[in-house]
Amino acid sequence: MTTHDPRLRAPRWTAASPGANHRLRLRACVALCLPLAIFYFGWLLDPSRVGNPLLYAILVAAELFNLLQAIGFWWTCAGERAWHRRRAEGPPPEVDVLVPVYDEPIDVVEPTIAAARALRGARVRVWLLDDGGSEEMRAMARRNGAGYVRRRRRAGAKAGNINHALARTSAPYVAVLDCDHVPLPGFLEATLAHFEDPSVAFVQTPQCYANAGHGDIAAAAWSQQALFFGAIARGKDGHEAMFCCGTNVVFSRAALEEAGGFPEDSLTEDFELSLRLHAQGWRSVYVPEVLALGLGPEDMASYVSQQHRWARGCLAALPAVLRAPLPLRTRAQYLLSCSYFLTGWTVLAYMAFPVIRILTGAQPLAAAAADQFLLHFAPYFGIALGMVALMGSGAYTFRAFALQSASFWIHVHASVLTLLRRPGSFKVTPKRGTDAPQPRAALPALAAAAVLATVVVLGLARGSDPSTLNNVAFAIVHLTILGFGVAPALRPARPLAAAERRARERARAAPAQWAA
Amino acid sequence: MSATPTIATRPVRQRQRQPVPAPARPLRALAGEQITVAAGQLGAGVGNLAFSLVTARLLMPGAFAHLASFLALYLLVHVPAASLSAGSALTPALARSARRRVLRAGGIAGALVALGCVPLSGVLHLPVAMLLLLAAAAPTAGLIALDRGCLYGLGATGRAAASLGVEPLVRLTAGVALGALLGPTGAAAGVVLAGWAALAVARTPHRGDERTRFEAPLVQAGAGAGATILAFLGLAIVQNQDVVAAGALLGPREAGRFAVLSTLGGLAAFATTTVPLMLLPRAAAGERRALPVAVALAGALGLGAVAAVAIAPGALIGAAFGARYDGVAGVAAPYVLAMALLGVTRVLVAHACATGAGRRAVAMLAGAALLQFALLLALGHDAAGVAHATLIATCALAVTAGGAAVLDLPPARAALLLRTRAAAAALWTPAGAAVAAMTVGGLVLRVLATRGLWLDEATEVSQARMPYGAMLHQLETTDVHPPLHHTVLWLAIRMFGDGELAVRLPSLIAGALLIPVLFRVGSELYDRRAGVAAAALAAVAPFPVWYSEEARMYAFFMLFAAVAVWMQVRAVRRGRPLDWAGYALASAALVWNQYFAALLVLTQQAAFAWVALRPGLAAPERRRLLHGWLASAALIALLVAPLVPFALHQFTANEAAGKGFQSVPSQAGASASQQAGLQRPSVYGALTNAVWAVAGYHSDATMTRIAALWPLGILGALSLLGRRRSRTTLLLVATALLPMAALFVLGQKQPFIFEVRYFCAAVPAALLLLARLATSWPRSGAAATAVVAALVGVMGVAEADQQLNQSNPRTYDFRGALGAIRARARPGDVVVYTPQYLDTVVAYYGRGLNAHPVDGGLPPRHGHGRVFLMASFQDKPPYRLQAHQALVSLRREGRRLIARLHRPEIQIWELSR
Repeated sequence: MTTHDPRLRAPRWTAASPGANHRLRLRACVALCLPLAIFYFGWLLDPSRVGNPLLYAILVAAELFNLLQAIGFWWTCAGERAWHRRRAEGPPPEVDVLVPVYDEPIDVVEPTIAAARALRGARVRVWLLDDGGSEEMRAMARRNGAGYVRRRRRAGAKAGNINHALARTSAPYVAVLDCDHVPLPGFLEATLAHFEDPSVAFVQTPQCYANAGHGDIAAAAWSQQALFFGAIARGKDGHEAMFCCGTNVVFSRAALEEAGGFPEDSLTEDFELSLRLHAQGWRSVYVPEVLALGLGPEDMASYVSQQHRWARGCLAALPAVLRAPLPLRTRAQYLLSCSYFLTGWTVLAYMAFPVIRILTGAQPLAAAAADQFLLHFAPYFGIALGMVALMGSGAYTFRAFALQSASFWIHVHASVLTLLRRPGSFKVTPKRGTDAPQPRAALPALAAAAVLATVVVLGLARGSDPSTLNNVAFAIVHLTILGFGVAPALRPARPLAAAERRARERARAAPAQWAA
Repeated sequence: MSATPTIATRPVRQRQRQPVPAPARPLRALAGEQITVAAGQLGAGVGNLAFSLVTARLLMPGAFAHLASFLALYLLVHVPAASLSAGSALTPALARSARRRVLRAGGIAGALVALGCVPLSGVLHLPVAMLLLLAAAAPTAGLIALDRGCLYGLGATGRAAASLGVEPLVRLTAGVALGALLGPTGAAAGVVLAGWAALAVARTPHRGDERTRFEAPLVQAGAGAGATILAFLGLAIVQNQDVVAAGALLGPREAGRFAVLSTLGGLAAFATTTVPLMLLPRAAAGERRALPVAVALAGALGLGAVAAVAIAPGALIGAAFGARYDGVAGVAAPYVLAMALLGVTRVLVAHACATGAGRRAVAMLAGAALLQFALLLALGHDAAGVAHATLIATCALAVTAGGAAVLDLPPARAALLLRTRAAAAALWTPAGAAVAAMTVGGLVLRVLATRGLWLDEATEVSQARMPYGAMLHQLETTDVHPPLHHTVLWLAIRMFGDGELAVRLPSLIAGALLIPVLFRVGSELYDRRAGVAAAALAAVAPFPVWYSEEARMYAFFMLFAAVAVWMQVRAVRRGRPLDWAGYALASAALVWNQYFAALLVLTQQAAFAWVALRPGLAAPERRRLLHGWLASAALIALLVAPLVPFALHQFTANEAAGKGFQSVPSQAGASASQQAGLQRPSVYGALTNAVWAVAGYHSDATMTRIAALWPLGILGALSLLGRRRSRTTLLLVATALLPMAALFVLGQKQPFIFEVRYFCAAVPAALLLLARLATSWPRSGAAATAVVAALVGVMGVAEADQQLNQSNPRTYDFRGALGAIRARARPGDVVVYTPQYLDTVVAYYGRGLNAHPVDGGLPPRHGHGRVFLMASFQDKPPYRLQAHQALVSLRREGRRLIARLHRPEIQIWELSR
């Protein structure tokens, strides 16, 4: 066990809602968002705005899709409810803690096993589910007093591994921890109490990346996660639609058995399992309290691999979502989660517009004074952005947005593969990043940046009329965002400066001050 | 008794020269003495003036001229002798010991005059009898000075006042009677008689009487009498050498004009003559309150004289000296101010002499006299130049003497030294030195990057040239602005004249002050690095530079806004009474300076409400904030209340004239800021105004292109994601945006309202935000420095474009246009111009030209002179049409176009038969 392991430090982030005032502000903002959205779309959908019909159709489709996503986001966040910690009563129940492993380093896994052994509030049996077949892992499990399970046939990836263990264990509750997520001692105390309601299938807790200070990718990935495990997860919980996120989760064995265990044919087994459970009438609970600290992707390849798997899995689950007998609200939530991975198409469209305008002169909007577009678009954009900032409580950063935008091609690629029904394979997200530049992991984004840079130069060379400059400015905006997004792939990973890390932590932790 | 040996061995070190403090006397007693004697002096002045006026009417002009010459000679003898008063005031014993020598010297002088009266009579064109009378008066000059000084020293104020009063009394009785009987010689005899009568009243008391109030200190200070006399001689030189220089350097006409100034300045100098003399013995006795009383009295008398002259200098000079001296009206107040400063300086010099620092005072005065001499040689090309030379010298002298006096005060000295050291220490930090350099650089840039006055400036200058009451009336009935800046400009014109630099001086100072103020604000709101960056941006930012060069209220607006925000943050964070008071004063100054600043005040009040009423605030903190907030709001209301009736009258008057508050000058650069086809602000207009606020004024084409880059704003907005919410930053954003947004909304109804000048409080806030962004976003100090340098570079380029690009729609080169006309015009030529409201700017730059508006009619059909048609605001159809019609009419009358000149926003057609 290393003393420098960031997972062993106290968590600095909280997933809990800032309070009743926050909910009030949030709902007030939502009330403001809707009229501004109508104001913009009322203007945009006027037939006189049509420029090039095809481009206009693409623009409208992209804007409508984003509007739906935005409304879904506002609706989700507005659904958050007051949360109170519960305490379990009665004798401590038995819990099997399952830690699936697949060739991860020992020093990553051992703190998790040791911490799992120290969990309070239950009679815990920890199982190390080793798909790597490592003797060192077996010795480590023995050393820490954990059970060791090894499969002969490694089918179904992580889901198969867990299902294999489920058949060999018997406790009424099953906790699943990724091997890099170190639980806090109170993990079970905070979650088990919710099973007093027999309809609860699982209790999910946040993922918190303790390595957020280990480079720009880790920071940006964490920033994205913080928005999800903060406002979005709280909102989904309010809408009874929180899905399992694969780790830091406790299941009722009865629910798992009824669902037939983890689905082994999916890249996002946790998502599909949640869908099945909700379809069977089970409930889920989200505890907005950091109860485990884990590791996020530290390099571009890891991030791309993770995002690609999520995108493939969620998009592939779309038909199941449409078919499943779910309440409307729950179905809408699942649809929102799945369709999020189509946003890359809209980014691609937005990037294409200035390129097409500069190269061909065609543009989606015509006969519209630029200032009129600005007048209608700016308030909508401003309030939407403000909502993101408000929901994220400052945790969602520009670099996170840039990385997300620069991942547009992942969504495009994943959706094409899904549409073509090409099979995918489960790849474990690497727990340690590489220090080497990884331009290949961001090649499509780099190509897009090159195109944009070319049209910027071309546009400036062709003329300086306001219309061209306007499109050049749009191209520069996209280019800058892409640049920030792919920059970490082009330089060696480096830890964030201490000052910046502190500033970020302070921004997450502290309320607004009348100070700098 | 023990003091005497101390004097003998006293080292020169000033610390040990402090006299033994005397028991403090009540202020009322000290002030009473001073006022009594000053009243006697003023009475004497009024009486002597009355004597002159009566004899002017009594005598024939030639006879009065003789009397006036006699009086001048009489004064010439008495002025140097008056320095003896200082010595005997400090050491009354001197009056007795020096009496014989002074009498002897006076007698000799008198004898010499008497002996030379015949040749002198020829030279001076005076009757011999008058010169003999002058000889008879000569012995009295020194004796009166000695004896009056002794009376001041002994505190015999009643007798001193009587001595002062008896002189005009005798002149007005015996002098007038003799004058009526014997002509100017009789009147002169009355003057001499009055001098002897004054001497008789001021007779030095016996030795026993001398031991009245100031015995011990008088002995102590006795050794300084020589330095005191020298110091007062130095003061007399500074007071009078300009008259001598004017006579020597200027022609008769200009010398006569300066004589008028000198006479007016003599009012202030004369009124304060007795104050330092009364101070001398009291300061020597260690009366600490004597100095402030004397300074206050001298200051009040001096300022009274300045005010008396400044209210209507033209009318005063016209009535007193004749209309031909009107030309010096502009510098009358500055010169009287110089003499008023000299009066205060005399008090400070007297104090220095009384406290043993006479040698230092002599050295200081020698330096001032030399400086004045050099300035007279450099600037003394006309009466105004001589007056300015004296003003500069007396300012320097007053500042030096004041500084020395403050340093001499033991408690204040310690405090000041501490503060000075702290200030010096701050200045010599890299940041402090950098900001000092930026301030100097910014000032130089503002002075160098100049341009001619534009319409609004010329209008305000024309208003500020009026008497104060008339100016206020004009403002109240025809203008739309509150009177603060007009008042400052009014004072500036009276102090420095109405040249371009003079009228822009207040704005220049405010603009330069904005640089260190933003440094302090940035340092306190964020950190030192942000402060330095804000100062660097303010030094070169085009918008502040532009309005630092404009004789309007906008530089004040930005400065007051920065101070208001600074004080507000201090009040919330620290909450000292001074912070709240500073905030209230800055807010009130904002409203007195510009009505639209009320929007900023309201925004800041809303911010206070938000901070003080937010939930979760601890009760004591909430109480503190509420108390401070309410008290400051009450103070603002109190300070702004007097403006309300003025504003209401203004509004009513404008409404009655059918203008409402619409009589603002038309908006330049409208095509870049208004919605196409609609005379109301567009979103691009808002963008344009925002760009103007940061990047300055540029051509319409440039502005349209810059506005087209608005998508970069998306990037800016996105970059804010994940940044910590700071209430300070929110306040700055609110102060920058809310007034602008409010004016944008109002502008949909009244388009002229949405104009960047009216929300220029946003500029300091924007600069602070830019500085914060530039210094906090980059990950390293070097990167931050590079970003700030890049921003400063961009601002510098924008500033260069703003100043040099003639397509800048805000550049109206009236100076160049009228200069060109002046260069080409010959006697008999006529200038006609449109629109009519160019009259003020034509009056400013077109002095001497035969100019009138097109509305007033075109030149006579058969006139032979050439016609210059000058047209501006040609983007406005009515004025374009008017110019066109005038041109057509002139051509129909047989005139042909011989030249067409272009200046920025101005066109000139030159037509001839």
